[in-house]
Amino acid sequence: MPFTAVSRDARREFFTTSAAGLGGLALTSMLADDRLLCAEADATQTSRLNIKPPHFAPRAKRCILIFLAGAPSHVDLYDPKPVLQQRHGQQLPKSLTDTVRFAFIKKDGAILMGSPRKFPQRGESAMPWCDLMPQLGSCVDDIALIRSMHTDAFNHHPAQLMMTTGVPRFGRPSLGSWLTYGLGSDSRNLPGYVVLPVGRGSSGGVSNWTSGFLPSSYEGVVFRSEGEPVLNLNNPPGVSRKMQELGLGGITTLNQERFQLLRDPEIASRISSYELAFRMQAAAPQLIDLSRESQETLDAYGVTRPEPKNHNFRGGGPHVYRQFATNCLLARRLVEQGTRCVTIMHASWDHHSNLTDEISYNAGMLDQPAAALLHDLKQRGMLDETLVVCAGEFGRTPLAENRGGAKQNTGRDHHPFGFSLWLAGGGIKGGQIIGATDDIGWAPVTDAVHVNDLHATIMHLFGFDHLKFTHRFRGLDVRLTDQGGHVVDKLLA
Amino acid sequence: MHLPQLTTVVCFLAALLATQHPLTAAQKKLPPPAQRKVNFASDVLPLLQKNCYSCHGPDEQSGGLRLDRRQAAFRGGDSGKTIVPGKSAQSTLVLLVAGLDKRIGLMPPDGEGKPLTRTEVGILRAWIDQGASWPRSIDPQQAARAHWAFQPVRRPPLPQTDPTDWIQNPIDMFILSRLEKEHVTPSVPARKELLIKRLYLDLLGLLPSPPQLQQFLDDNRPGSYLRLVSRVLDSPHYGERWGRHWLDLARYADSDGYEKDRPRPHAWRYRHWVVNALNQDMPFDRFSIQQIAGDMLIPTTPGAQVASGFHRNTLHNTEGGTDREEDRVKKTVDRTNTLGTIWLGLTVGCAQCHSHKYDPLSQQEYYSLYGFLNQIEEQDIAAPLPVEADRHAKNKARFEQAHRPLTAAVTAYEQQGLPAAQLAWESKALQTGFAWTPLKLVSTDSKHGAQFQEQADGSVLATGKNQVSDIYTVVATTTLNRVTAIRLEVLPDKALPKNGPGRAKNGNFVLTTFRVETPTQERSPESSVHKFSEAHADYSQKDWNVSLAINDQSQDGWAVSPQIGKRHIAVFRFAEPIKAKDSVRLRVTLDQSYNQTSAHNIGRFRLSVTDHPGPVQLEGLTGDIVAALKTKATKRSPQQRELLAKYYHSIDPTLAALQHKVKEHAKQAPSAPATKAQSVRERNEPRVVRVHLRGNFLTPGDTVSINTPEILPSLTSRSDEPDRLDLAQWLFSPTNPLPARVTVNRIWQRYFGRGLVETTDDFGLQGEKPSHPELLDWLASELQSSQWRLKHIHRLIVTSATYRQSAANRQDLWDRDPENRLLARQSRRRVEAEIVRDLALTASGLLDPRIGGVSVKPSQPSRHAGLTYANSAKWQTSGGGDRYRRGLYTFFQRTSPFPMLMTFDAPDSTSCTARRSNSNTPLQALTLWNDAVFFECAQRLARRIVDEVPHDLTETPLSDRIDHGFQLCLSRYPTAVEKSAVANLFNQQRDLCRENPTAARTLLGPTTVPSDTTTEELAGWVLVARTLLNLDEFITKE
Repeated sequence: MPFTAVSRDARREFFTTSAAGLGGLALTSMLADDRLLCAEADATQTSRLNIKPPHFAPRAKRCILIFLAGAPSHVDLYDPKPVLQQRHGQQLPKSLTDTVRFAFIKKDGAILMGSPRKFPQRGESAMPWCDLMPQLGSCVDDIALIRSMHTDAFNHHPAQLMMTTGVPRFGRPSLGSWLTYGLGSDSRNLPGYVVLPVGRGSSGGVSNWTSGFLPSSYEGVVFRSEGEPVLNLNNPPGVSRKMQELGLGGITTLNQERFQLLRDPEIASRISSYELAFRMQAAAPQLIDLSRESQETLDAYGVTRPEPKNHNFRGGGPHVYRQFATNCLLARRLVEQGTRCVTIMHASWDHHSNLTDEISYNAGMLDQPAAALLHDLKQRGMLDETLVVCAGEFGRTPLAENRGGAKQNTGRDHHPFGFSLWLAGGGIKGGQIIGATDDIGWAPVTDAVHVNDLHATIMHLFGFDHLKFTHRFRGLDVRLTDQGGHVVDKLLA
Repeated sequence: MHLPQLTTVVCFLAALLATQHPLTAAQKKLPPPAQRKVNFASDVLPLLQKNCYSCHGPDEQSGGLRLDRRQAAFRGGDSGKTIVPGKSAQSTLVLLVAGLDKRIGLMPPDGEGKPLTRTEVGILRAWIDQGASWPRSIDPQQAARAHWAFQPVRRPPLPQTDPTDWIQNPIDMFILSRLEKEHVTPSVPARKELLIKRLYLDLLGLLPSPPQLQQFLDDNRPGSYLRLVSRVLDSPHYGERWGRHWLDLARYADSDGYEKDRPRPHAWRYRHWVVNALNQDMPFDRFSIQQIAGDMLIPTTPGAQVASGFHRNTLHNTEGGTDREEDRVKKTVDRTNTLGTIWLGLTVGCAQCHSHKYDPLSQQEYYSLYGFLNQIEEQDIAAPLPVEADRHAKNKARFEQAHRPLTAAVTAYEQQGLPAAQLAWESKALQTGFAWTPLKLVSTDSKHGAQFQEQADGSVLATGKNQVSDIYTVVATTTLNRVTAIRLEVLPDKALPKNGPGRAKNGNFVLTTFRVETPTQERSPESSVHKFSEAHADYSQKDWNVSLAINDQSQDGWAVSPQIGKRHIAVFRFAEPIKAKDSVRLRVTLDQSYNQTSAHNIGRFRLSVTDHPGPVQLEGLTGDIVAALKTKATKRSPQQRELLAKYYHSIDPTLAALQHKVKEHAKQAPSAPATKAQSVRERNEPRVVRVHLRGNFLTPGDTVSINTPEILPSLTSRSDEPDRLDLAQWLFSPTNPLPARVTVNRIWQRYFGRGLVETTDDFGLQGEKPSHPELLDWLASELQSSQWRLKHIHRLIVTSATYRQSAANRQDLWDRDPENRLLARQSRRRVEAEIVRDLALTASGLLDPRIGGVSVKPSQPSRHAGLTYANSAKWQTSGGGDRYRRGLYTFFQRTSPFPMLMTFDAPDSTSCTARRSNSNTPLQALTLWNDAVFFECAQRLARRIVDEVPHDLTETPLSDRIDHGFQLCLSRYPTAVEKSAVANLFNQQRDLCRENPTAARTLLGPTTVPSDTTTEELAGWVLVARTLLNLDEFITKE
């Protein structure tokens, strides 16, 4: 079987048929790939998602996004505001309320609400860090905390799309899809882009990891926490691995016969897809089998830790703590095996009421496993090339909200004008705080970072000029950063 | 704020424009000028348009430079000339586009476009060197006007080709003449079995059954293929296949999208209409006009109203805190862009935020077009299917036949029995009747300054101040000397909010305490309070029962929401009757002082008393009736007679019984069919249309008038104010070239994998040029001249020799025409997601072929719906045949779409999709292998193969069964190599099953093993069937 020739054309066909037209990048990488192909003898190489070089030497090679859907309160988690505390209970200056829209708070009668949280200084960088996340506090020297984020949308779904796809609308590829499209994947046996959900579903659902107008090969593959890890991974009852192997052999033989007759490279691609699927059937269960991990590791991540007694919260559930810990460990195992992008998706941080209890629960879920992930990656020498991003879609108001006419103010409303998130590893300069909001945490006063800026920076870390990394769609060269975006130089190590 | 990063870069351009550089080393590196005579209109202008006008065009003149007007271009920017005629190496324009200016770098800058190629720079240079001639007559708007897609459709003459019997119809002449120019020969025709499968997949999305296959293979008479085409075009599955293509464009879904993603129970009615309309070959102009403005047709039809539900397929955001106007604007934008893509093939959406960078569409024109769709109001309408409407009409007739005698009985009694009964009643009514006598008011008072106006009917209307917790005090008398109960009527009044009866914003009130006292002496503050034994009301709000108005609590009381705007009655019975010598004088307090944040006072009320000793009734004889009864019958006024008759009519027991029968029977009336549809209507008060600056609806700009884009033929409207129906009809005016071209091109794409214009959704200046422009126009004119019959176009295409060619790749074309633009062969393409499902169901015989109807929920992997917001989308798997319906009927939940469909590239239905991607992934392999539906298909296919080729009918069961399996799945017989491979596979799988009987039994699923076979044999066939269903050929149109 002359596979090299076939796959060469398969690739060409892939690029010419899978997308309505080509961006410049894809074209160059196709040529580059063909050179690569000439050198390679191993036919199975073709089943990888074509590995492609970026524009320049990358700092990051893999990405783990911890997405806190629903949007955590920045003034309670990341951005201490003594002035807000002092003005607790006071009305907001009219100059502010006149110009803004709220989702739920009524403008008349809106009052400021301080935070009960303490922010002791941690690490050599003496970064003030929230007392709800003591273990992550031990990682601050690797963390760059951005306190001056802002975004364009103030309802969950559009804002989540803004954070995950760069525009507050449907139909665009997610960050992970762009990266996998641009770089391919090193994993022979596992998908290039994996999503690990925990807790209840997010507002955006699959649109947060969609490949948009890119081929579906770049869509995030959901690894499920119950049942088979990948949809349809397991053979039907009664079908053994041996039968599967024979069946695969039959498919390959007959497909090859057809190829001999019609010489359609898509047939060769199909053969490769089936081979990868077959390998994935073995690899994915191995991935989620944690028995080879040491007890020390399991304990560090909190995989076996007890669940809090009360888990009746928006972000809660009977197994949420362990599930989140397991997902953090799986994220490490995935990137170790060459997966390009992993998204851990947790909902919900939408604390319109009962903020104190709920954010304590959620932060407790997040703290230990996320800290363990950073330590583990570092210890294995992988943090330098693995970018970890921990973000929600926006922040929450410094104003109090009382839902449903409750007697007391116990929550905060959506707040797109200013919020915080953090990054670590992958070429990020840790131990620093970027930007600041005003006295009450309303909006950035220095180094404002728009979501498109964040994306431009992430692209930069992966070796892409975000302006050049485009895909032609409906008459436009579309990019992740839409209409804007500057690389935030301060973030770079 | 977040500013586009490019403006500053662009501004530098002007600064440099004036500078005259001496010839530098950089200039020597310039690409050489083109060695030919360059034409401004055809060579240079397109370059400027494509690369420069977004920043130096009609909208924006960065650095004061404008390159779309002759004079302005030669004048240069703020600081000088950019074009030095005759001296290209000294023209800043050339240096900049060549990237040879070290200080600025390259124009256009990153993100604004791609660098010009060396050839393109050479063209610019040649133009300048040749004198930079820019004819006065040429300006870009006119050049855009010259763009091929905006030209009228002209029916081209048929091209001359070498005489050949290859040609089947004119399509082939266009294709062949091009091939001849390229010295390429067409491919051989596909074999018959391949052709029938191709035709079935393309037109129906189903496999031919073995008899259908055999019929065609056996038909050796001339014209067999044409007859097959006719049969297939008549199949009602055609509407399903091509309806699904249309649904891609219409962004059809069964839920709202966004966070809440609520289901749309009526969405399917639109899909049903599409399928039927296509099956009836409704002319495409009518098909389109009904969708765009069917609700506005005079007269409109139920079908047209359903069709206009096309506009309802947009996303709809119901997430808490959403700005509804923002959502409406988003929908209108989507409607505008969708219309642009479907009928104009233009990316009009690009002009939403700024004038189109490439096409002649300004932002004003975008909002002029948007204006047509800005007047839409959404409404759900009753939309029974024709069969439902018929059935309902019949049932209704049957019911009315039974109902008529009952109503007749009422009428008969009213005429014959009632007058006598009334006389009998009148004679004793005064003795037994229960009467309420209105109190005569002496004074009314309000604690917080409300004013009272006494009304003619004895009631009181509160006006003036309306403060929280008012207390009304009424002093009144009655001529009765004994009072057993008191009645409070609260009455509606137009002067009150929501017509009252309360003065709260919502028309409600809260009567905290109702108290009655009798003063011990005239004007004395001393009084005795009279206790109540019971209280009743005709209606009490939940948790606000009237009994709470006579308890001691001041935090509760009587209220009547949501029964607002109506009269309500409360009656209070005294524990002991109040007696007086001649008349009773009462002080009544209406205390409304519960702890509330807004006023909840009564707006209009009337007080009456009774001396009746019996149980208290809400209603009773009123004073005027009592007066009438007391008057002798002969002396009653006509009004009194009418009053009595009317009153008695309302209480006669016999009449009530007859009326009750009518009412009871009416309950059996057949209810109108519940089937509804999403539809739209035109708003009565037109919205003003404004430009949204930078696409933001919060920053409205100038008002624009509703109109079609200037570059296209002008609009003829029915009145001075053009509307949506005018727009729809304008699209299909004979002078509008786009809808016909765009439509035939999309059809062509479905058959050959790509359109004659590859950018199916972009016929603008940025789109690809047509590969066969004359053919495109010929087809467009065929569509127009056939009264827009789509089936005519289908028949033309599928009967062409071009269509019938083999799809085999040809060595001689690999390098010359890798994308198959010349069409020297057919294209192979994996079928669409829904069809992948349909094929497996057809091959296995599981398919439930019912056409149309409500969306279904076939089994999907458990927990998939849990990905939606708070696991909100429940997936209740359909029962019976609905589990095996065609893919297009699967309920489409936007935030957790059916996973199998998405794995095979079904569009996410968030916006108009003119072309699907066609990926080839391991997840597709896993789906076909293991998804429960597909494995069930394998089980059933195995059973079918074994059942339909029983042992006793054949001596070579294995061979014959393999043949049959191939026929069922691939519509052909296997080659020798294939047959031996499959036989080998079967034997090995069967042996494995023999070794592991438990596994073998398990993989059969819930089925019995036929008597002439064994578990291991059947299980072996399940595994072979699974292989057949996973072949690339199985899911590919060849």
